[in-house]
Amino acid sequence: MNIAVLIKMVPDTESRLEIVDGSLKEDGFKYMVNPYDEFAVEQAVQFKEIVGGKVTLVSLFSDNTSIDTDLRKMLAIGADETIVLRQQGYRGDRPSANARILSETVKKLNADVVICGVQGIDYYQAATGPMVAHFLGIPHVSGVTNLELNGDKLTASRQIEGGLQIIETPTPILITAQKDMTKVRFPALKDIMMSKRKPFDNRDVDTKEGSDVLTTECSLPPARGGGVILEGDGPEGKVDKLIEKLKMEAKVL
Amino acid sequence: MDPFHDYYGIEWYLILLTWSAIALGSHFYQVGTVVRLIRLGKDDDRFNSWKQRLTEFLRDWLGQRKVVQDKMAGYAHALIFWGFLLLVSDIVDLGTGGFLQVLLSNIQLDGIWNLIVDLGYAMATIGILIALYRRIIIRPAKLKGASIEGPLILLAILGIVLTAFIVEAGNMIDKGGTNYNSWEPIGVLFATQMEGMNHDTIANMVDISYWVHMILIGGFLIEIPQTKHSHLIGTVPNVMFQDHSPMGTMDPMQTDENDTAVKTDDLDFDNLTLGVNKFADFTWRQLSDGWACTACARCQDVCPAYNSGKTLNPMQIVLDVKDYGREHGSLLLAGDEPEESIVDRFTPDAIWACTTCYACVEACPVHIEHVPKLTDTRRHLVMEASDFPEELQNLFNNLERNSNPWGLGAHTRADWAEGLDLKIGEPAEYLFFVGCAGSFDDRNKKVSRATAKLLKKAGVDFSILGEIETCNGDPARRAGNEFLFQMMAETNVKNLNSLGTLKIITACPHCFHTIGKEYETYGGKYEVYHHSQILNELRKKEKLKIKDFEDKVTFHDPCYLGRIGGETEAPRGALGGDLIEMERHGTNSFCCGGGGARVWMEEDADKRVNEIRAKEAAKTGADCVAVGCPYCMTMMNDGLKSIGEDKQVKDISEILLENLEAET
Amino acid sequence: MTSVVLVGEVDGDGIKDVSQQVAGVAAGMGDVIGLIIGKDVSKAAMKLAAGKVVIADDEALEYYDPGRYAAIISQVVAKNNATKVLMGATTMGKDLGPRVAAELGWGYLGDCLEANNEGFVRPNFAGKVLAKSKPDGPLVASIRNNAYPAGESWSGSVENFTGDIPDSTLNTTSIEKIGAGTIELTEANIVVSGGRGLENPENYEKLIRPLAATMRAAAGASRAIVDAGWVPHSHQVGQTGKTVTPDLYLAIGISGAIQHLGGMSGSKFIAAINKDPEAPIFKVADYGIVGDLFEIVPVLKTKLENQ
Repeated sequence: MNIAVLIKMVPDTESRLEIVDGSLKEDGFKYMVNPYDEFAVEQAVQFKEIVGGKVTLVSLFSDNTSIDTDLRKMLAIGADETIVLRQQGYRGDRPSANARILSETVKKLNADVVICGVQGIDYYQAATGPMVAHFLGIPHVSGVTNLELNGDKLTASRQIEGGLQIIETPTPILITAQKDMTKVRFPALKDIMMSKRKPFDNRDVDTKEGSDVLTTECSLPPARGGGVILEGDGPEGKVDKLIEKLKMEAKVL
Repeated sequence: MDPFHDYYGIEWYLILLTWSAIALGSHFYQVGTVVRLIRLGKDDDRFNSWKQRLTEFLRDWLGQRKVVQDKMAGYAHALIFWGFLLLVSDIVDLGTGGFLQVLLSNIQLDGIWNLIVDLGYAMATIGILIALYRRIIIRPAKLKGASIEGPLILLAILGIVLTAFIVEAGNMIDKGGTNYNSWEPIGVLFATQMEGMNHDTIANMVDISYWVHMILIGGFLIEIPQTKHSHLIGTVPNVMFQDHSPMGTMDPMQTDENDTAVKTDDLDFDNLTLGVNKFADFTWRQLSDGWACTACARCQDVCPAYNSGKTLNPMQIVLDVKDYGREHGSLLLAGDEPEESIVDRFTPDAIWACTTCYACVEACPVHIEHVPKLTDTRRHLVMEASDFPEELQNLFNNLERNSNPWGLGAHTRADWAEGLDLKIGEPAEYLFFVGCAGSFDDRNKKVSRATAKLLKKAGVDFSILGEIETCNGDPARRAGNEFLFQMMAETNVKNLNSLGTLKIITACPHCFHTIGKEYETYGGKYEVYHHSQILNELRKKEKLKIKDFEDKVTFHDPCYLGRIGGETEAPRGALGGDLIEMERHGTNSFCCGGGGARVWMEEDADKRVNEIRAKEAAKTGADCVAVGCPYCMTMMNDGLKSIGEDKQVKDISEILLENLEAET
Repeated sequence: MTSVVLVGEVDGDGIKDVSQQVAGVAAGMGDVIGLIIGKDVSKAAMKLAAGKVVIADDEALEYYDPGRYAAIISQVVAKNNATKVLMGATTMGKDLGPRVAAELGWGYLGDCLEANNEGFVRPNFAGKVLAKSKPDGPLVASIRNNAYPAGESWSGSVENFTGDIPDSTLNTTSIEKIGAGTIELTEANIVVSGGRGLENPENYEKLIRPLAATMRAAAGASRAIVDAGWVPHSHQVGQTGKTVTPDLYLAIGISGAIQHLGGMSGSKFIAAINKDPEAPIFKVADYGIVGDLFEIVPVLKTKLENQ
């Protein structure tokens, strides 16, 4: 089975977030592999271990080489090849443009399955996967919590409100992985060292125009309560306050 | 009468020669195999510091220094051992038909020699009787399940002693009437009992005793390499080549000719075995431990894992090395690998249960090094087999990514110091290395603040690293991820060296140990102080005026400060006042259960190390448990809560801060 | 006048709350053409708060299929010359939106917190940064639940979709429902967690589980009570348990030791109920109640039930 895994390099959300002149200061960011994409890599390698084949990692990023160690760990999980598309001026919040670039490379791989994480922890748009599927002209199933081989088909359990939608699909198909689709293995140190011998296939790509909406301004949300202790008349009063806050301010109820 | 005649036409010395050949042959063959097995191990150059080693050998092996730490068993053993040394020359005499005696009489030394031998036998007898009494009557709990080997060996030695006396007495009676050799007082005792008997009976008794004596000795020679008696041989190299590196220091993955660690980028992974999984992955010295073990169970007694019901038994680990070697001996010596690996034999459950508290190593009378066997197998499990508890995966990822075990934003590391107006990243006399718990854990942030306030009050010139401080790497190293540890150590050394500050204060014994003792080989030589040491000095010099605390307080010695760090005085000096001591304190302190990266791993609810220690602390009647380590702080707090005790747990710095004398 | 296609979702006999909310937003942007896709949805579809409702009701559309649904939306967009497509940020909306945007070649903004003619706002970096934009071209957007109040329900004209329903190789074989109270911790939008403050295991069953059921939340636990054997390890939130990132994390009787925080600090909102005002949990909680949880939790459950 020929599998292409799309990997996004994202900033660590524990990084310091500073807004300067309405834009987020990004030069201090440390990048790591999007955790959702790790599930995709692991699942792809598991399939390869069952039916044989090839797993190719494809990542679109800037010319920043600090990502190499992390990407290498993905290779060490058991992938065969890593293609890194280097783009000057790469931005993670251009799903349409990025999807076009990615699909150009992926098309040539003739993959039976294209798999990636459901969303990136930077922008949470969950858009790149479905868009790549469109540009490749193949169907897709998103938010999959369980994926199984079923002869020449795949059975995907797609997470929906209150349950799962079980979908059977032939290949080619694009899948986006939801959290805990599988347990990602910790690559052995030797494998990580060995992966140093498989150099990345770095390719330069131009910027592409897409139909993405550009962000005009960034701001920090109002300081997180920072621990507002709700006062009220006895338990009733306090609970009323809490429900009000949760509904109106947090909008989680 | 003497036994030196022929038996059914065969001369006695021919029989003896034959038996000796069998016994000695078997003995040396077995010893040869053991030596070959041990030599399969990797190199470990301990062939240095000869003067120091000789002194230690005399003090610890001959002098039985650590053996007698357990009064009853220890002195019983010392008596048997010294007795044996005094009597051992008797075998030469008995084996040569009395020739040695003759030789010595030519130089007037036979009398004193006889006395020494008798004394030897007597000491051994007393020792054995005490030992038998202990094993059969008292039956201490730690010997429950001990093999029958023990009492059998004791009875056998007793047999050797008794038969020797009978032969001695027989010799005396033979020589003539009442002219008993007063140089052999016990022989005289036996002779007086025996002289009334029929001479033929005596002759038979002497003959039988002689041959029983020889059979028992021969039997011993054959059994010594197989049973716990192998310690007769094993303790010699074990004590002679004891570990001279500071307790608790682990070795780097690879060292160069100068014995310094090879840098991460230069590591030769093709030729590097990471940790231990095969018998020959151990060093020769780790293997010789197996044959030095006497199964005395002192290590088992003090082990927090064993005592909390986990499958780890340090004594079993050591015996496993010997048993594995013997069971798979022929395969191993042929250069083949048995199907069962060392990890299989130890079992992963046992391997992960260790807290690296080193109580076992401290307790062992013959310098066996239990802990490295476990940390080495951990290295294999983490770095080669990639087979380790899930919880550690998070730990490793967090350490690598955010340089702290919780994966919290590194840029919030110095937030604990808000409002204290401390020097951050500036040159100063001391560097206060805060550590991860002190920077991120709510409870321990209070300790950092207390420490900083005290230092400021005393006018100590110090700075903190601030955001660029990273974890020292201890959890990674103890958990077996040596690669991650090395990367962190190299980064830290670079940062620390660039500051030029070489005097470091830390409130965490794990930082104290790792940075102070394990960083040198990575290029970082620093003077590291535990905050109790500095606070103690300040209190003594009256730079801090502290009044004695009024509550009932007990102090829990952290393993990495007290036993492993060698510092038990400073915390007590700093605290002052009237401390109530727990039964197990100082270097005998019982671990809180947090070390060895265990604080990051799951523990079954019915097997809690910290609850055992919490019960011990509560028993003292103290209202407050003083601690000097963030792990102990967490574990003691949790432990006391679990057992339902409403006690306070405070760090030394917090108690001192509370008791600062008011300014006049 | 701009036309906005509002893709709504059916919930049993009625319309999902979020669809009615988006209808309100759409009404502020132009002429609203509601669209309901499914099987046997005609009766419910009429309740959508839009002047015109297009109903695509067919056997083949029983289960959500991105390719089919996107094709239908494109046709409706074309027929009505729409320049915006809005939907709720549900699992369907967040998946369908990007596919439709790619098919139409339009811009896409998902999970918006604010959407009106002044501009759109959506969350980045796990909600730690807000990104504003003022799209001027045609746009597909999904709006987060409860970002806006529900639109007025009124019946307008109804039209049956007569366009082309393409084939699809995807085959939905079943829908598995997961009963409330056993919602997977790592996937839940709301987590109600209990700790040692509950005092005994019975209280976990009496207070936490019912509250979680009422809130349609997953039930979690601190390490202390998992260790004590009150609940299985699968419930544990924290360093050695599960990491959860729900919209709301409600910590009841949990002190907030650092190992626990490590498992839930990524939650969008944290609320805590604890009798100890010094408990570390209050330092990270957005909303805290210092009080006796045995009094507060039953009151909370009753009030939520009566909503």
